[in-house]
Amino acid sequence: MTTDALPKVCTDDLPMPEARDDAWHQLDKHPLVEVEDGYAVTRRDVVELVLKNPSLFSSKRAFDVLASPVPLVPIAFDPPEQTRYRRILQPFFSPRMIKPLEPDLRRQVVDLIEPIARRGQCDFIAEVAAVFPIQVFLTLFGLPLDMRDQFIEWKDAVLNLSAAAGQTSVDEAAQEGMQKALELFMYLTDLIQKRRGAPGDDVLSQVLSIEPPDALSDEEAVGLCFLFVLAGLDTVMDALGFGMQRLAENPDKRQEIVNDPSLIPAAMEELLRLDPPAPFVPRVSTQEVTVAGHTLPEGTRITNYLAVANRDERQFPNPYDIDFHRTENRHVSFGMGVHRCLGSHLARLEMAVLYEEWHKRIPNYHITPGTTPRVHWPRGTVGLDSLHLTIEAGDRT
Amino acid sequence: MRVAIDPAKCMGHGICYALAPNVFEDDDQGYGHVIGDGQVPQEQAEAARNGAANCPEGAISVTE
Repeated sequence: MTTDALPKVCTDDLPMPEARDDAWHQLDKHPLVEVEDGYAVTRRDVVELVLKNPSLFSSKRAFDVLASPVPLVPIAFDPPEQTRYRRILQPFFSPRMIKPLEPDLRRQVVDLIEPIARRGQCDFIAEVAAVFPIQVFLTLFGLPLDMRDQFIEWKDAVLNLSAAAGQTSVDEAAQEGMQKALELFMYLTDLIQKRRGAPGDDVLSQVLSIEPPDALSDEEAVGLCFLFVLAGLDTVMDALGFGMQRLAENPDKRQEIVNDPSLIPAAMEELLRLDPPAPFVPRVSTQEVTVAGHTLPEGTRITNYLAVANRDERQFPNPYDIDFHRTENRHVSFGMGVHRCLGSHLARLEMAVLYEEWHKRIPNYHITPGTTPRVHWPRGTVGLDSLHLTIEAGDRT
Repeated sequence: MRVAIDPAKCMGHGICYALAPNVFEDDDQGYGHVIGDGQVPQEQAEAARNGAANCPEGAISVTE
């Protein structure tokens, strides 16, 4: 037991917008850091301890503060309820279910990239990264792709609402957000009724056709859809934006995957290690706990800082370097333990097809001079607002 | 060389069977399993070690 004073960091002041590596570096000196809303754990072994002991570190209590109109299945639950949800849902997001989507997703991504290759420039976030994951969601749920813009509007409103959770003032924007969240809720409730009546071959229909005792109630099914919207759309957008930014800024690294596309899976993992789009995974202690030698009382909010744990030099030599040839890359960007990201296999497929098809057509590009990719901050998830890319002349089709 | 996956630790990240598809396989839930009796042929040893070393949960043991 140590009684050393813990370092205290005001995370709002971190230089996240334009220097996120520096921001994470400011947190990597001590395994436990005091932050605004509790404590940050920053070392991979301590993160492992927290995420693998759900009876001491509750996800349910951490997500209770989100003003969600429906129970977020399964993230806002602890074992044993969570175990049941995972057992029911996991087969629908397993590699065996996801892999057959590949040809369709590849076609969709090519349709997004080809006009950009002709035009010679783009905002990668608005034109590719924001659009593609929504199309995948619509494909998976058997919805027409022309619902895309409506879903973007709903999703942004719901995400802003959850970002504002905990703030007490209900301003006009929050009221509008609530209105949009309600629209999405009504749409999903209606969709679930329709799919129960006339199932299609989409994943939602299959989830709804599960027989008792595992059948999900309407409320649980809406909660699952909400979680998909909250966890599955902007995360892929942000990871792709960050990845493409690093590839644009590091032509030597980019050349490696252009020369040898079989390196793309390893490159994707390395880019994910450096930039987990959901880098803050909260838990709340269920009793007095000892973390990194410090005793914390029951009810303490303990947040796993995944981007810092992924830069733990005991696990990752030269952790701030981009290295597509790491022999060990046990990053925790998808979390670990019982809440390991349910959508990781889908997310990896989306990212892999994008990196493959893009670099086949557009090997040479750079950040458009006069533009600066900036991370929105402070925020619970991190990502770029825009990423303006210029394609080098020889590559235009 | 032998490999084994601890089913209590495996959370279905899918890294092992992606890196060493001749040593590990997935099930309907996406969890990893060792193909056969766990004995790894010499030509698969490097892939098996790589799959084990990259398991985020540390669920795979290797006995040389």
